[in-house]
Amino acid sequence: MTQEHDAKSDDDAIVQIRNLHKWYGPFHALKNISLDVRRGEKIVICGPSGSGKSTLIRCVNGLERYSEGRILANGHLVDHRSDHLRLICQEVGMVFQHFNLFPHLTVMENCTLALTRVRKIPKAEAIEVAQHFLERVRIPEHGNKYPSQLSGGQQQRVAIARSLCMRPKVMLFDEPTSALDPEMIKEVLEVMTGLAREGMTMLCVTHEMGFAREVADRIVFMDAGAIVEEAPPEEFFGAAKHERSRKFLSQLLH
Amino acid sequence: MFDFPFMLSTVPVLLKAMGTTIWVTLVASIGAALLGFSFEIARRSGRYSGYAMRFVIDFIRSTPILVQIYFFYFVLPQYGVTLPALVIGVFALSLYYSGYLAEVFKAGIDSIPAGQFEAAKSLGLGRLDTTLLIVLPQMLRAVAAPMGNYFVSLLKATPYLAVISVHEMLGTALDIGSETFRYPEPMIAVGIIFLVLALTIAQAVRWLELRLLASLKR
Amino acid sequence: MSFLDVLSVIWSGFGVTAEVTLLSLAYGVPFALIFGILQFTTQGWCRHAATIVIEFWRSSPVIILLFVFYYALPLAGLTLQAMSVAALVLGLNIGGYGSQAVRAALQSLDRGQYEAGMAMGLTRIQTLMLIELPQALKAMVPTFVNLLIQLVKGTALVSLITLADMTYKAKSVAQMTFDPASAYMGLLLSYFIICYPLTILGRSLERRLAVAKEGGHV
Repeated sequence: MTQEHDAKSDDDAIVQIRNLHKWYGPFHALKNISLDVRRGEKIVICGPSGSGKSTLIRCVNGLERYSEGRILANGHLVDHRSDHLRLICQEVGMVFQHFNLFPHLTVMENCTLALTRVRKIPKAEAIEVAQHFLERVRIPEHGNKYPSQLSGGQQQRVAIARSLCMRPKVMLFDEPTSALDPEMIKEVLEVMTGLAREGMTMLCVTHEMGFAREVADRIVFMDAGAIVEEAPPEEFFGAAKHERSRKFLSQLLH
Repeated sequence: MFDFPFMLSTVPVLLKAMGTTIWVTLVASIGAALLGFSFEIARRSGRYSGYAMRFVIDFIRSTPILVQIYFFYFVLPQYGVTLPALVIGVFALSLYYSGYLAEVFKAGIDSIPAGQFEAAKSLGLGRLDTTLLIVLPQMLRAVAAPMGNYFVSLLKATPYLAVISVHEMLGTALDIGSETFRYPEPMIAVGIIFLVLALTIAQAVRWLELRLLASLKR
Repeated sequence: MSFLDVLSVIWSGFGVTAEVTLLSLAYGVPFALIFGILQFTTQGWCRHAATIVIEFWRSSPVIILLFVFYYALPLAGLTLQAMSVAALVLGLNIGGYGSQAVRAALQSLDRGQYEAGMAMGLTRIQTLMLIELPQALKAMVPTFVNLLIQLVKGTALVSLITLADMTYKAKSVAQMTFDPASAYMGLLLSYFIICYPLTILGRSLERRLAVAKEGGHV
């Protein structure tokens, strides 16, 4: 399968993952993963829990160290030099399962923090940018509130806005809806679908198969640390090639 | 015989010295907090600096404040460093309590969810920004109560400075004793004043804590 | 005088340091248990009285208590030896802190334990002795270890009331040899050797207890 990837490798890839391995002690968490994300492409990574999907996307912006292989993000090698990582993190946005908003800062301060401290743009300008993205995630009116005053769905939308403020080239989503109550999942998925429509490059780990079917260009199915199957959604949902994929899909339906 | 009027006559002199006690407490508290926070940040910043800081903190906590005061007071001049006793005293108190506060800050920082550090990293925030803008404010919320207790404890350690002839309240009381050859009266007076002061400040610290927590509660 | 000679003089005071520590424990441990339990079990004036006694011993600076009792007791017709005064003051001061650990540990128990005991027909005292205290004691151990360290360090104070402990010996060596650096370095090292193992023990007990607690909730 890796040879297939190497053959497909192209310069248009905004994220290139090559022969990636990760061990936690004796545990082989990622096994020879290769994956390209092209500009504007939306990829959904799915698989049973413990399959390594979160670990994989956390390697892309350096939150996890990988043991072997190579990742290029927007042409920069993801290694563990902090100056490189800071550069990469400015171009790769991330949305977490548990939002990870800063509880001591207002919504607006959460959004402007990196703009003023990392991008060093003036505060007034940062507020304008933040307001723009808060409108885009449809909560322009909550800027002065603190995260704990918002619902989970609203918090996650703030987290998305916070990430977008840095104008990233690619967005990573790490199970963005799995900590949410069912009625709030929809509002977050709508925002994500909107982003996808506007051409954002996205790498999403999610169990929301409706979202995957509607938005994804490719579905990547992982199990036990390896990529088992990669296919466009209609093919994956219609006629998954692998037994393990079919089993996973049938379990999701029940 | 116990001379009550004499005891009362010592009170104004002692109250005057209370200024020094309070001033020393304030400066040393700030010093201890800054030093303790720096120690804890240094302890986290790498493996070897971690071991080194761990040892420094344990050493500070495993030796008496009285001996540390003597050490700085008698040993520094041998190496050509002559500082006023007051400065040495404030420094020794700061250093001693920094060992305890470092441990308090450690627990406070440990209580911050890992996601906060990940979010800061994923936004490209540097180490200093993360420490000052993300860690410090969230840590302060978690440590307000134990930190307040150590400030009260520091207040109660200020009379140790009497042994290097700093004229805080105990030092002043000992002076009165040696001048008048009557120790019990100034001692009892200073004991009562200190008890009242310590209880008052403990209440004040508790009140400040509640206000701080209320203003931070979100 | 070589550094080893200095150390051997300092350690000639170890006997007094140990004696003060042990005698203080003889005062402090019963005080902590009795007053902690009183504060936990009683109501009304009895509880208030217990609180006042505890607050007197733990809110006053220990160095001031020591001087007050050393200088003022003879006035009340009580002529105690320096050793007895030291043990009484250091013991009850640390016992005051200990009582709060006892009370906190008892209060943190699930109230269901008390109710189950009473429902079985045990008396209040039986419930306390058979159900509550055995469980609470475990939670107190790390605090007691930390207080023991506090006590050992506090014994350095007895050098101020003429008892020839390690600190006293170091001071006299420093004066004799005009070499305060070795004397006080040696003294710091000596206390460190005694207290560091306790520091490590306290920390590992705390960690073990924290793990046990978390495990209990799973």
